Amino acid sequence: MSTLAMQRRRATAGRVWTQFRSSRQGMIGLGVLLLFVLMALAAPLLADARELSPVFARAQGNPQWASPGEFSPLGTDHIRRSVWAQFVWGSRVSIFVGLAATVLTIAIGSVVGIVSGFVGGRVDAVLMRLTEWFLVIPFLPLAIVLASVLGRNVWNIIFVIGITSWPSTARLIRAQVLTVKQRLFVDRARSLGASGGHIVSHHILPNVMGLILANATLAVPISILTETTLSFLGLGDPSAASWGKTLEEAFVNGAMTRNAWWYFLPAGLGILAVVLAFTLIGRTLEEIANPRLSRGR
Amino acid sequence: MSEPMLSVRDLTVTYHGQGGAVPAVRGVSFELEKGGSLGLAGESGCGKSTMANSLLRLLPAGTEVTGEITLDGQDVLGLTPGGLRAVRWTSGAIVFQGALHALNPVQTVGDQIAEPMLVHETAKNDAAARVRVVDLLRRVGLPAARADAFPHQLSGGQRQRVLIAMALACDPHLLIADEPTTALDLMVQAQVLALLDDLKQERDLTLLFITHDLSVLTYACQRLAVMYAGRIVEEGPAWAVFESPSHPYTRALAAAFPTIGDRMSRMSPSGLGGDPPTPGQLPEGCPFHPRCPLAHDACLVAEPELRASGQGGRAACILV
Amino acid sequence: MLVFNFFLFRVVQTDPIGSLFRGRNVPAETLDNLRASFGLDQSIGTQFVFYLRETAQLNLGISYQSRQPVWDEIVSAIPPTLALVGVAAILSAVIGTAAGIVAAWRRNTWKDHSITSGTMIFYSMPDFWLGMILLVGFAVVLGWFPVGGIVTAGSTETGIERLLDQLYHMFLPALTLTLAYLGEYTLVTRSSLLDVMGEDYLTVARAKGLRDVRVRNRHAVPNALLPVVTLTAINFGFVLSGAIAVEAVFSWPGLGKATADAIRGPDLPMLQGLFLLFSAAVIVFNLIADLTYSWLDPRVEGA
Repeated sequence: MSTLAMQRRRATAGRVWTQFRSSRQGMIGLGVLLLFVLMALAAPLLADARELSPVFARAQGNPQWASPGEFSPLGTDHIRRSVWAQFVWGSRVSIFVGLAATVLTIAIGSVVGIVSGFVGGRVDAVLMRLTEWFLVIPFLPLAIVLASVLGRNVWNIIFVIGITSWPSTARLIRAQVLTVKQRLFVDRARSLGASGGHIVSHHILPNVMGLILANATLAVPISILTETTLSFLGLGDPSAASWGKTLEEAFVNGAMTRNAWWYFLPAGLGILAVVLAFTLIGRTLEEIANPRLSRGR
Repeated sequence: MSEPMLSVRDLTVTYHGQGGAVPAVRGVSFELEKGGSLGLAGESGCGKSTMANSLLRLLPAGTEVTGEITLDGQDVLGLTPGGLRAVRWTSGAIVFQGALHALNPVQTVGDQIAEPMLVHETAKNDAAARVRVVDLLRRVGLPAARADAFPHQLSGGQRQRVLIAMALACDPHLLIADEPTTALDLMVQAQVLALLDDLKQERDLTLLFITHDLSVLTYACQRLAVMYAGRIVEEGPAWAVFESPSHPYTRALAAAFPTIGDRMSRMSPSGLGGDPPTPGQLPEGCPFHPRCPLAHDACLVAEPELRASGQGGRAACILV
Repeated sequence: MLVFNFFLFRVVQTDPIGSLFRGRNVPAETLDNLRASFGLDQSIGTQFVFYLRETAQLNLGISYQSRQPVWDEIVSAIPPTLALVGVAAILSAVIGTAAGIVAAWRRNTWKDHSITSGTMIFYSMPDFWLGMILLVGFAVVLGWFPVGGIVTAGSTETGIERLLDQLYHMFLPALTLTLAYLGEYTLVTRSSLLDVMGEDYLTVARAKGLRDVRVRNRHAVPNALLPVVTLTAINFGFVLSGAIAVEAVFSWPGLGKATADAIRGPDLPMLQGLFLLFSAAVIVFNLIADLTYSWLDPRVEGA
């Protein structure tokens, strides 16, 4: 990339950051997100991983179903494990799966959207049929079906979420690509002899990037919530305990009838916080990418 | 002399938005006697639409309006909300520019014309309103059947007529026409102008006609006023202002008489180089001096006041 | 749709009967018999033809878990879900839209901020988690509501009393779903109304001397509601399948709980049948949405 192009990219990034900084909702979202990411990264420092093993917990002599008052900081569950450890380590899985699934969704959706919008013609028609078809299928049942069939594995879950969520991204991106394509400068580039690939990477992509980014940030909450629901229904990976899995175990083992609120409250709050953070950031980015929206907000 | 229908004194309108305070109208004063007609000309951004909207207090909340507006004997700026609603459309009504979105897309045209009648009780019930609606439509040259049409089913010219009919729904005394001929074909323009003139004679209306097209005003109005950068820079009898303008800006506007069929000469009426100043960033002294062919150093000192220019008019230029 | 449905299930799960009885001591002969009765010993092609024929006759197979016909199980699970989801969908649409209107009309005031923030928070939490909290709070701790099911266990009430008992049981799950769905309606209505609020015909309406409320209700809102209506209709289709986890939490005997139970098998015929039903519902409601929109918007010609 030429230095001039790099300078321009940097300038745009700087502008975006300045605008972002002035948005209160954006900064709150960013702050909360950083907090949780730090927690996820610092998991080994915050809680001993061995506490996740029931064997270890028993050996430690932990009580069962202890409330936070009896066993700090967050009490224990039905097999004596520390809830705090589950919370801290669960964040890793939930956040990771959320991000990875979104990456997959965005990747598929963007490729389909860009190709469909740019190439047009029959390719476009075929891809759009495919997209519509996927959109019509209710995605939770589809996710359940796929997950049941594929087995309980973190990567399968990521795959399933990616496969069910890409259509709406594809549609959005295709619409944007069509708008950009209509602008004169693309025709001018073509008349200069630029190849299709060049046009895509130098003209289409920069104009679509903003939308992709905003859309991606808003897609993460969906991925996280889907993973949580899938885990809750028993389709999660037993060896990679996410917050959703914690909720499932709490439910299945009667935490509710025992009023063991410390078991299911933290995991849910964690999900709420992270999802809210991504939503706030996403809305802020959307407003920056599309200033017309901010007039109303 | 009887009281004027509309009296505006030192009107100032300042928008307060994200970019700070923007003075759109800066101290405008004029009078309109009953049955008279005043044309207000200027390029976009000069504040004429803002001024028109301010007469019925239609500006967005948070806009600062100072000065005095007396309409039909009432102090518009001092009215209570209830009083204001009563005055709207009955004392003064606006004929808006007939773009598609001046009309509610999901209501029939007839319903929209009837609405103010029912609200102000000009018509006692739906049936009576319907009669009046049909009557008004016929008067503006549209068939009665059009009352059941939706806005998107009408042509530009037809929509403009609907807006005129709508403005007359409650028999207002003052009619404010805000760019009623813009975006219409030349032939349709002529028809609409003739219609407005007829209606004015017939109902003894007082007319305030706002547009950027000076040539249109000479046909329709007794007096002319020209606005630039939020102020009136020249005003007087229509023939005087048009045929022997005193202000350099008016001169440029008047000189660019549009050629029939030539869209370009309609689009840039003044033929002047440069753009009108942004309301928030006015030049020093006389706001016109950057584009004025007769400007010299004294023009940068202070903004000129309106002074008598002979033939019963006034102009704001130190050369007068 | 049918083709996809069938192959999806058969292709990857190679021995469903075996996995169903995993860990239990069942003689191999019994397993073989079971397989034969489910037609699993035939070739894939034969199975597919068999499936098509049976589905056309509305015979969706036998549930692995309950040994009852899938069709019967599904049909008996429809009314509870319809009741629960129907009530929640209507309530959330009405309340959500009203909230969105208020938020947009009074944008950037404390009313707007509190409504927007509140709905965003509810929208960001897992719906079943909210259910769990409400359940523990109101049923376990306070004891105001039952802990699950659709009727009090062992009750023999009929008629009105039975209906009231059912409604009593429905309260918490309905509340959970309503709160969970509110957010979308509020945000979409608010956006749509904000778009409309910039239009000229609203200024014209004010100029005519109309009261602010009338301008809002007669001019702004009808134009803003068009996209909301479409959304509502489409949502109804998805909402049917969205209650899966919540039904599980409250042990509500509907399609959702049936799905949750079927997952734990895995009860393939049940899952297949349910999936078919959910997909059909979405298609039907999408159609209804299209028809409704073209009927409401005078700018759209014909259906």
